[in-house]
Amino acid sequence: MGNSDSRTPKQGDFDIIIAGGGISGSWMAEELTRAGRRCLLLEAGKHYPEDAYPSEEIDANSELYWSGGIEFNTAADIGMLRPKVVGGGSIVNQALVDRFDDIALDSWRNRSKVDFLSTSAMSEWYDRVEARINIQKIPAEFRNGNAKIFEEGFKKNGYQCAPLRRAQKDCKYAEGNDCIECLAGCRVQSKQSTPWTTLKRALDTGLLTLLPEFEVQAIRETSGEVQVRGKSSSGMIREFRAKKLVLASGAIGNTKLLLESGYGAGLPHLGHGFYTHPQYMNLAEYDFEVNSHKGPFQAFKSDDPGFREKGFKLENVFAPPVAIAMLLPGIGRRHMDLMRRITRYACIEVAVRDTHAGRIRIAGGRAVIEKSLNAEDIKRKNAGLEAVARIFKSTGALKIIPGNVGIGLHLMGGCAIGNDTGTSVVGPDFRIHGTKNIYAADSSIFPDAPGINPSLTIMALSLRGAQEVLNP
Amino acid sequence: MSTPYSKHLGPRSLRGLTKAGDILIPGDETLPSFSQTPCLAEMDRMADWMTPQDRGGFKFLTGLFSYMPSALIRGLLSVADRADSLPAVIAPPFRLINVGVKGVVYTLYYSDLTASRSLRRELNWSTRCGPLPSTPVSEQEARIKEASQRARAGAAVLRKLPVRERLRFLAPLKEVIFRNQDRILGAIQLETGKSRSDAYMSEIFAVIDHLEFLSRNAETYLGDRSMPSGLALMGKKSRVWFEPLGTVLCISPWNYPFYQAIVPITSALVCGNSVLYKPSELTPMQGLIESLLREARIPEDWVQIIYGDGATGSKLIDERPDKIFFIGSSRTGKKILEQAARHLIPVELELGGKDPAVIFADANLDRAAAGVLWGAVTNTGQSCTSVERVYIQEGAFDAFRDKMVEQANLVVQAIDKDGSADIGHMTSDAQVAIVAEHLADALAGGAKLLTGRQWERKSRKIPPLVLIDVTHEMRIMREETFGPVIPLMPFKTEEDAIRLANDSEYGLSASVWSKDIKRAERVARGIVTGNVSINNVMLTEGNHALPFGGAKSSGFGRYKGEFGFYAFSNMKAVIIDADSKKIEANWYPYTGPKFRLFEAMTRGLFGRGLGSLLGFAKNGLALESLSQKPRGKA
Repeated sequence: MGNSDSRTPKQGDFDIIIAGGGISGSWMAEELTRAGRRCLLLEAGKHYPEDAYPSEEIDANSELYWSGGIEFNTAADIGMLRPKVVGGGSIVNQALVDRFDDIALDSWRNRSKVDFLSTSAMSEWYDRVEARINIQKIPAEFRNGNAKIFEEGFKKNGYQCAPLRRAQKDCKYAEGNDCIECLAGCRVQSKQSTPWTTLKRALDTGLLTLLPEFEVQAIRETSGEVQVRGKSSSGMIREFRAKKLVLASGAIGNTKLLLESGYGAGLPHLGHGFYTHPQYMNLAEYDFEVNSHKGPFQAFKSDDPGFREKGFKLENVFAPPVAIAMLLPGIGRRHMDLMRRITRYACIEVAVRDTHAGRIRIAGGRAVIEKSLNAEDIKRKNAGLEAVARIFKSTGALKIIPGNVGIGLHLMGGCAIGNDTGTSVVGPDFRIHGTKNIYAADSSIFPDAPGINPSLTIMALSLRGAQEVLNP
Repeated sequence: MSTPYSKHLGPRSLRGLTKAGDILIPGDETLPSFSQTPCLAEMDRMADWMTPQDRGGFKFLTGLFSYMPSALIRGLLSVADRADSLPAVIAPPFRLINVGVKGVVYTLYYSDLTASRSLRRELNWSTRCGPLPSTPVSEQEARIKEASQRARAGAAVLRKLPVRERLRFLAPLKEVIFRNQDRILGAIQLETGKSRSDAYMSEIFAVIDHLEFLSRNAETYLGDRSMPSGLALMGKKSRVWFEPLGTVLCISPWNYPFYQAIVPITSALVCGNSVLYKPSELTPMQGLIESLLREARIPEDWVQIIYGDGATGSKLIDERPDKIFFIGSSRTGKKILEQAARHLIPVELELGGKDPAVIFADANLDRAAAGVLWGAVTNTGQSCTSVERVYIQEGAFDAFRDKMVEQANLVVQAIDKDGSADIGHMTSDAQVAIVAEHLADALAGGAKLLTGRQWERKSRKIPPLVLIDVTHEMRIMREETFGPVIPLMPFKTEEDAIRLANDSEYGLSASVWSKDIKRAERVARGIVTGNVSINNVMLTEGNHALPFGGAKSSGFGRYKGEFGFYAFSNMKAVIIDADSKKIEANWYPYTGPKFRLFEAMTRGLFGRGLGSLLGFAKNGLALESLSQKPRGKA
């Protein structure tokens, strides 16, 4: 994979340092190396060869996420999964790619006063992204029992749904692949994770040095250069310098880094405006084997204007045994009896387009996340749960088991983009306010929750942001 | 011995976690409880990745659990499970306890670990991910490959368990066998045709006896051992550690299908190995062993049964197990050894025998006849250690012959259900044919058949066959007959007896009968064989503290007893020295003065008397001091 990890990077070798090897960092790396810049990509997580992703939940959960698994908000009722691996979210996500609609972008533009946040202006960037990745919809003959229940329930209740668009190349369904294991890294190189798409292309230019298992701890900008200090896997402290720095470590990562490096004083909005699209998975038991884990385990999404207006969306989804065990209530025999019926469960998740901004602070060297649902968000959640209940009941569910813990997979905000330095952290030129050479174009710059899966937009924003970074 | 399960969690935390785990997952009729699986051994796959704060909190909480009564833990976990119904002010810590404890317990238990492959089956959960293999393989080949992989995974888990833990997993098996003994006896009798008493004594009783021996002695023999370091290595610690080999392939024959399954399997298991077991295709007893192991909650990957013939055995060898344990014919044993040689896999072979009984005139002939009869026809003669040659001292020959004929004719033969039959039928037609051939060959050579004339040479119901006028040229005195044959031959002197007994390519067991124990011992020492019973027969194998194995073509290696532990272990020699500044005497530089000192010290070390000892001390110290100096200064 290029000349990456084996070489020991030396000081002064780089034009641009990218802190964070997730979706944004990878796309940035490709754009910048294409333009001839020498880049250093620092990622705290490991770099796995394609066939070596952890195949068991115990390892996947421990090794692919920060804090060995879940991180909680202060109320401990939303569990956030923050990936820590080369490829970031593209390793552990479901690769659902959707463009933002007017509802999402209009809200952004109004809040941030940044003109290009519109469907017309962003369209060119979405086009460019989609030209570089494979996107497919799951063919009807491979949709599993869970998907069929979803579709049937939607029809019966007059809701509109649509097949999911997934960034995948060839999941080999015909050969009987059941890729619920996709959540821990695709081992058949179908999911368009960055290590074999955009990041690979960046490494192939020879201009990118990838340093995995390196945790950036502090950044500093002096006249004409940026300095990045961090800790390697062996515990050694190292410092790198370059002309420019791109922050791509996500909402929590970027916020924490900027706060710990002392930028909080000049950026009153830093850490504010944190959103997560809290998701609630709901199980329903049927009197036949639904086998929600077989084949492609996600095939449909809701595409209903009514839902969009009410502020939620639904997806059919499932999870491996440990995750299901965590969702099921009760302990002891009661819990075991519920687990025994795992193949009879259908599952629909409600994703809330949250309106109540959270906040990321640091205390004792750790990120502290204040996030809760206000009355409006609770209303949206309940509206979603009600729709789910109707779908399940109308398709013959024997019993519904609502999910009690909210899961936060889309970690957004904390470094909102905007024109006003009082209510934003990053300017329309993707530069951190008050800095000359520090940029960000990942989900941390989202001004609010769009209610749509963020990854395609992160890619598009990163492409656009790269142009700014390339300006002298 | 330090706790093996986690670098981070001490015994108290692990105990508390086990309690909480068993409350969350108490097990039911078909699924094990949390502690009935070895999943706790995987703790560090999670703990290594926790933040120090989370780990500290978890250790504290589980440490608390170790002091709390289970009812209180249950109450706490129930409240935590319903944390959302608590007031918002106090809910967060309960939510964290809920997710924290469940997160660890459920991950350890429900993750795709060795213990829970049966779990996945119970839950009807299976997933496949990856490209199909390019060349289609037969179902049997796929099964062998998969089983070998799982055996390796099982071996990795077993490697983490100390002996005590392995014994804990084995412990329920004894009770399970008791509970199921009727079913076991039924299966044995159905497939082998032996009498119920034969089945009970040699398979049920003997197996339980063996399990008792294992549980009482495993920790003693497999524990770390201190060894003397001697004067030359004084101050360094010498140890022997007994470690698992990895995966052991056991291939067993059809004559004691239950005993020869459970004994090698559990012996290998207690030494920390996972086992792949291939029963004889003649007596597969399909599903029986698996069901017993499952009832005993022994994790599936630890013992896997593969059914098939020699070709299957061969494919299993190609998967390169770490050791092969084979009980069977010498012919097959050679083939196995040949194949194993290609991969340099160590092999233990328990092969055939042509065991002699030597009866002196001064022995109690009634008793000897009763004993030799039993030794010759138990299990209808189908034992590797059965008596197949009987040598009687001249003066007692006629009397012994008559007693033998009388007793042989009283033997009751049937496949009984109530214990009333002495012996059952032969198990295989192929073996029946061999008995018939040997008999024909003997009679053609002039031997006389004194009992069992009613046998028409075809049926499996072969009665005891007493023969006289046999010679060592006859097949029945040279090749393993494996049937209820009792050929009698006279001898003159003690030396004759030894010579005759040793005139065989085999050497598995022997029995010597005499009132004169000293003479019996002389003869016993003279016979080249792996087992000897004096004034008894086939009894050494009834003592599970004794090793078992053969000499000559009867095989090599020993299992059972203390030595059985070594057979399935990697004995690791260890020296522990301190990390000091000292340069050893045998390290560089080598110089002339050092050489001379070394010479002098050696004479002192291996000489005799106080002078030598002092010489060793003086020169040894001088040598040590010289060794610390670099070249040029030495």
